[in-house]
Amino acid sequence: MGRTAKDSLVKGIIYLATGITLSVLLSIVGFIFVKGIGLVNWDFLTRDYNEKVVYAFVESGEVPLSIDEESLKSKQPYDQRYETLQEGPIYVENIGAAIASVSYKNHSTEREQIVISYIEKDSPLNGAIDSTGKAITIGTDYILQSINGTDFGDMTLEEVAETITAESGELKIKVVQPGGGIKSNIITTLYMVLLSLIVALPLGIFGAIYLTEYAKPGRLVNAIRFAAECLAGIPSIIFGLFGMAFFVVAMNFQISLISGSLTVAIILLPVIIRSTEEALKTVPMAFREGSLALGATKLQTIFKVVLPCAVPGIATAVLLSIGRVVGESAALLLTAGTVAQIPGTLFSPGSTLTVQAYYVAKEEGNIELACAIGIVIIVIVIVLNILSRITSDKLDVFNKK
Amino acid sequence: MQAIKRKKRKETIIEGFFLICAFVAVISVLAITVFVFFNGLKPFISNSYPIWDFLTGVEWRPGSNMYGIFYMIVGSIYATFGAILIGVPVAILTAVYISELAGSRLGKMIRFAVELLAGIPSVLYGVFGLGIIVPYVLKISPMAQGESLLATILVLAIMILPTVVSISETSISAVPKEYREGSYALGASKIQTIFKVVLPAARSGIMTGVILGIGRAIGETMAVMLVCGNPIAGIPTSLFDQIRPLTTNIALEMGYASGVHQELLYSTGVVLFIFIMIINLAVNKLVKAKVGS
Repeated sequence: MGRTAKDSLVKGIIYLATGITLSVLLSIVGFIFVKGIGLVNWDFLTRDYNEKVVYAFVESGEVPLSIDEESLKSKQPYDQRYETLQEGPIYVENIGAAIASVSYKNHSTEREQIVISYIEKDSPLNGAIDSTGKAITIGTDYILQSINGTDFGDMTLEEVAETITAESGELKIKVVQPGGGIKSNIITTLYMVLLSLIVALPLGIFGAIYLTEYAKPGRLVNAIRFAAECLAGIPSIIFGLFGMAFFVVAMNFQISLISGSLTVAIILLPVIIRSTEEALKTVPMAFREGSLALGATKLQTIFKVVLPCAVPGIATAVLLSIGRVVGESAALLLTAGTVAQIPGTLFSPGSTLTVQAYYVAKEEGNIELACAIGIVIIVIVIVLNILSRITSDKLDVFNKK
Repeated sequence: MQAIKRKKRKETIIEGFFLICAFVAVISVLAITVFVFFNGLKPFISNSYPIWDFLTGVEWRPGSNMYGIFYMIVGSIYATFGAILIGVPVAILTAVYISELAGSRLGKMIRFAVELLAGIPSVLYGVFGLGIIVPYVLKISPMAQGESLLATILVLAIMILPTVVSISETSISAVPKEYREGSYALGASKIQTIFKVVLPAARSGIMTGVILGIGRAIGETMAVMLVCGNPIAGIPTSLFDQIRPLTTNIALEMGYASGVHQELLYSTGVVLFIFIMIINLAVNKLVKAKVGS
């Protein structure tokens, strides 16, 4: 084979490899978006994962239907994620809302439920309060279970409509807010990010200051650098084991937000130390010398001159860290648990978005839901990526001149 | 005089404080090592489970007090090796394309894509594997399920791409221009220059990337857990066999294990830890060798 032919063959292989890399990326992101996008909506982001039973107190009224039958039918009465329409909808005047019967699929069990499919603008349901007098929202696709103590258990849709119509005055309605949302996971993730940064950021920044500004080359500095490198190389499951042994068991923090965030803080240390060090190194020596020549102490120089110049670098470190926390799963699985709830205290468990994605994929086999959570995660990752690009560009100003 | 002295003392104290902060990294590494090893070696020291049975056993049945991890070690090694075999060539060639063949704009775009790939959490790779790779493997597999060594290898191969690409690309870009010019001057073509001059010159950097890739593959948990099958026994003999790597063994059972069972999960961690330490030392040595030359 001639040289040119051989060269173009090799070139072709290189193009092929690059093509594979790119198509893998596209297919992963594409897969997650295509599979999950149908589930991502406002309710998905703002609802809890678990169903919530609410007792609502409503003053009954007489609200006529303001739209025609056809458009009432076309109102999607059910949450498309889990349900199929069986009967209805029927409009009930005294609560100003339409109800429909759906077969509601909850994980593995399937049962018929009465849901609210449409709510009039001036429906009394919009003024619903709970037993403490706090206003609550009742939305379409909430499940109706009983009214004034009459359980809808085995009733048909017509019977339920009649029962509701027969009631008047103050109605006590038992409704179930459907689950399947990720509000608690989003909030847990935020808590986790904040807590771990509060711990890791000062440690990492001060550590980096020591390494760049004070330390003289020697055994101590080598040990610290070697340790940081080791930390960066340890897989997260080992951090999880350590967190389990130390924070959960030895410190008796239980599987909780605090155990999880402290474990993650250790994972973040090398990330923060490294990027802060890089940032401090870009600050020209002349700045320090100028400051010292003006009579400033070393400490003043660091805090008034060096650190302000390194702020974009530290911002990059923060963004990278947030990405790390959002992406972390194995360590958190062992230390913060898989309970989809908003942690009430530092010592209660909660699952972050990533852990939740794992949980629904593995334990419930619900790939669509995992992909929907994946979309939220990928959007966060992309935003962080772009932001960190901007901040790290800002850092290069000293060297560009 | 007094004021200067006080100032000096303050400076020393704060320097000490900074040192302590920096030292937290060292303390963490020590604490992690001590805690994991302490818990992991307990069952062998207290003789509640023989270490030989642990290391050579091929069945993990906590119910009947059988804890062998040999088949997991084999599974871990097979999966990592397979992933390297597939992922590394693709990654190095992609790195070559980015730094040598692509224009600066196209190169930048691909680099951004690779960085994005690196930022995707491992769970999502697992979900992708479960949703796409596992069903495809099932189609060609003689077994009844798609979760297999092959699926694990493919997912891991994808996962090590960004690591190996970005490190190889950096070290290829770092090869001095003169090397290439010298090669061209001798009449070599671009492709010959890349493979005979540039890649050998960037060898140690690429090796570092590969070893970090190995580290990532062997330590990966969540993605693998979704696609590997996690059988309770059996050394894998074909690509379609299920495997249970060391990492997933820990993550699967840690939540509810207790007593010897839990301690032996820590022991699994110790074995994994030793693998990782060997890899870390190799990286360290390579990086030092590079600085030396």
